[in-house]
Parts: sequence; C-alpha cells; structure tokens
Amino acid sequence: MNTDLIIESLPQLLHGLAVTVGLSVAAIAGSTVIGLLVATARTSKLPVISQLGRAYVEIFRGSPLPITLLFIYFGAVYYLGYSLNLFVAATVGLSLYHGAYVAEIFRSGIEAVHVGQREAAQVLGLSNSQVFFSVVLPQTRRIVMPPLVGQYISLVKDTSIAFLIGTVELMKVGQSIVDRTGQSVPIYLSVAVLYFIICYPLSVWVRRSDRKVVSQ
Amino acid sequence: MTYQWQTVLGYLPQYLHAALLALRITVLAFILATVCATVAALARNSSVGMLRLVAGVYVEVIRNTPVLLQIFIVFFALPSFGLHFHAVTAGVLALGINVGAYMCEVFRAGIASVTRGQTEAAQILGLSRRQTFVFVVVPQALRNVYPATVNNLLQVLLGTSLLTAIAVPEITGVAIVINARTLLFVQVFLMALLLYLVLSNLLSLAAAVLGRVIFRPPLPIGFVGPRLPRFKRPGRPERAVVS
Repeated sequence: MNTDLIIESLPQLLHGLAVTVGLSVAAIAGSTVIGLLVATARTSKLPVISQLGRAYVEIFRGSPLPITLLFIYFGAVYYLGYSLNLFVAATVGLSLYHGAYVAEIFRSGIEAVHVGQREAAQVLGLSNSQVFFSVVLPQTRRIVMPPLVGQYISLVKDTSIAFLIGTVELMKVGQSIVDRTGQSVPIYLSVAVLYFIICYPLSVWVRRSDRKVVSQ
Repeated sequence: MTYQWQTVLGYLPQYLHAALLALRITVLAFILATVCATVAALARNSSVGMLRLVAGVYVEVIRNTPVLLQIFIVFFALPSFGLHFHAVTAGVLALGINVGAYMCEVFRAGIASVTRGQTEAAQILGLSRRQTFVFVVVPQALRNVYPATVNNLLQVLLGTSLLTAIAVPEITGVAIVINARTLLFVQVFLMALLLYLVLSNLLSLAAAVLGRVIFRPPLPIGFVGPRLPRFKRPGRPERAVVS
C-alpha cells in the first residue's frame, strides 16, 4: 500500500470532502423544504393539488438521479444561455430528487397523526397553518426522524453522482488523482473511508432511534 | 417540435436496445444480490462469531459508501489484483454486491418478524431446528419480506443508470450519446425518463401480480403462515350470477 501517496493527496481529498459536505448540507435543506411542500400538497383536500404532488413523487421515484442531474445541467445551458455553476446544479438536482423521497416520509408521518388532534385544534380556533405547524408537524417528529436521517445518508452518498456532470467533490477529486497517478487502490480506499466516516455515525444513530420507536 | 421528436424517435432502436441491456443487468444483479443477501443474513444470525463479524463488516461498509465508488473499485481497482472484468460484468458485480447488503438487512428483519410462538410451537411439535427454520420461519419471513425485496429490485434497475460512468451502453449512457449527436436534450432525456418510468412500473406491476399468485391463500405446500378465518361481510346481498 502506497501510504506516501495517501498522505500527499490527503489535502486535496479533504478539500473534496469539504465540498461534499457543503453539497450535502445544501441539498438536505433543499430536499427537506421540497419534501414538506410536496407532502402538504399530497395530503391536501384539493384533488388537483394532491394529484400533482403524487405525480411529482412517482416521476422522481421511478427514475434515476443521473437523469435529473443531466436535465438540470443541460437545461440550464439551453434555457439560461449559460452553464449553471456545477455546485448549484448538483444541489438543485439532489434536492428535487430526494425531495420526492422525503415527501413520502413526511406524508407517512402526517397521516400517522390522529385526526382527533387536527379536529381538536380546529375547534380551539387555530388557523389551518397553525394546525399544521404547531399541532401536526411536531407530533410527526418521532416517527419521521429515523427514516428521514436514513434518507439523508443516501443523499450524502448520492452527492458522488454529481461526478457525472463534473462537480468537483470527493469522488471527482479521487478519480482525478487516480487518473494522474494510476494508483487506484489506495485512493479509492481513502475516499471510501472518508464517506464511511460521515455516514456510519448517522446510520448507527438511525438504528438506535429506530429501535426506540419500535419499543415505544 | 414534431420534427425534433421525429429525430429522437428515429433513435428508438438504440433506446430499446439499451433498455434491454439495463433489464438484463438488473435481473443478473438482482440474482447475485439475493444470493449475497441470503448468505450474509445467515452468517449474521449464525452462532460463529467470525462469520457474524465478516458479514457485519460487509453490510456496514457497503451501506455506508456510495455505489458509484463501489462500481469504480470493481472496474478500475480490482484489475491491479489481476481481476479484469468486462464493463457489464463489473456493473452486475458491483450492483449485486451493493444491493445484497441492503437486502441482507431486509431478510434479517423478515426472519425477526416471525413471532417467537411460531418457532416454539414448531419445536414442541418435534421439529428439529433446521426443520423449524426451513418449514416454519422461512415461508413466513418470505411473505413479510416480499414488498421490500421488490423495492430492492427497483433499486437495482435505477442503479444501472450509474453504469454510464464505466461506459456501459445502458439507457442513460445511450441518451448522453444521442444528446451529444442531436443536441435535443429535452426530447432525448424525456425519452430516457419515460423508459425508466415504464420499466420500473412494469417491474413493480409484475412483482405485485406475482406476489398475489405466490402468496395467495390457499398457500403452497409448506406454507404455514397465519390463516385468518374469512368472514362474509354482513349486509351485502349476494350478487346475481350473470352469464
């Protein structure tokens, strides 16, 4: 194993890791907002809106992430006339794609809240938005959190797919070092370790809190 | 607009060819994943500590690193150990091993979902531990696991799109090539999107039908799942038989 190469390229890899983390955080925020919006749309009483939400979820869940990323990447070039910053394009693509999955998680949480809670809040004179944000949403937290973090873990791993449109994140940095030096094994292993360091603690947390939800 | 669609539709044979390849990879990788998952799930539940450790490491490492990296490792890094694979083979291996780790956890959850009373009852009836597992636990676990396994199948299908990174001519890869040739990105990628939607919906529909057939009550021989009494719904007149 070529440890010199690993030590030598560690600064570059850590820089890639920083981009991956930034991309993950931005996309987590984006997908959560989109997921909440789509989940409220899906649970809406207006059939048009709930069907639109459903179509959104079905389309993104039935297609792979590269297609979404390529759409956004090329779409920006064709419609805006200039190419979007690759970081932004990847963030938008990841948010849209994972937003569909997050929406399903939120929806299951919202539907798990007993109707009586909503009715009681309405009787007490709360407005629709108050009912949703102060009564329904806080109660979904316990059910929603474990699968939500699970989804965030797959989002972190999926940032590597931004490689396909050329975003310079951990995967791309690793691959360019491999292309330059021809030493694939040590570099890929270091990249794998870096991803593992981010994802493993999160999955341990998910497993623990999953157990807690089941036992309650 | 119609002209543009005609151009892209002219590439339909390439698309369909790519879809066929994607389906073939999906089936092969899914079979590999099932094998990996079964072996890993048995190893994780075994009484031998070493086996448990190896299977645990496999599952945790695979589940906490990106698929794309795993594909690259199989295709670019294994050759330095003398293992050279064709891109399609590498794709099947990587996807199979990846989804196998996720399925392993599904299988384990399925085994754990069979209630304790079932195994105790089987043991009291004089079945050996192996008989209990094969004839009592597995059939019930299979039924509980089936929907999640179908999700894993779709995960493999969507995962094939990543194989474009190692130049496998599947749907996404073909779409990228056609896009470079025609510059009609909307039509080109919509076509690819449509193909994926059709394939994934067809697969899940087929799986749902198959599930109905396999897990239909009266269940096949050896199926000892819980049989609930069937009640007729009250207050609903029998429909007159027409024909």
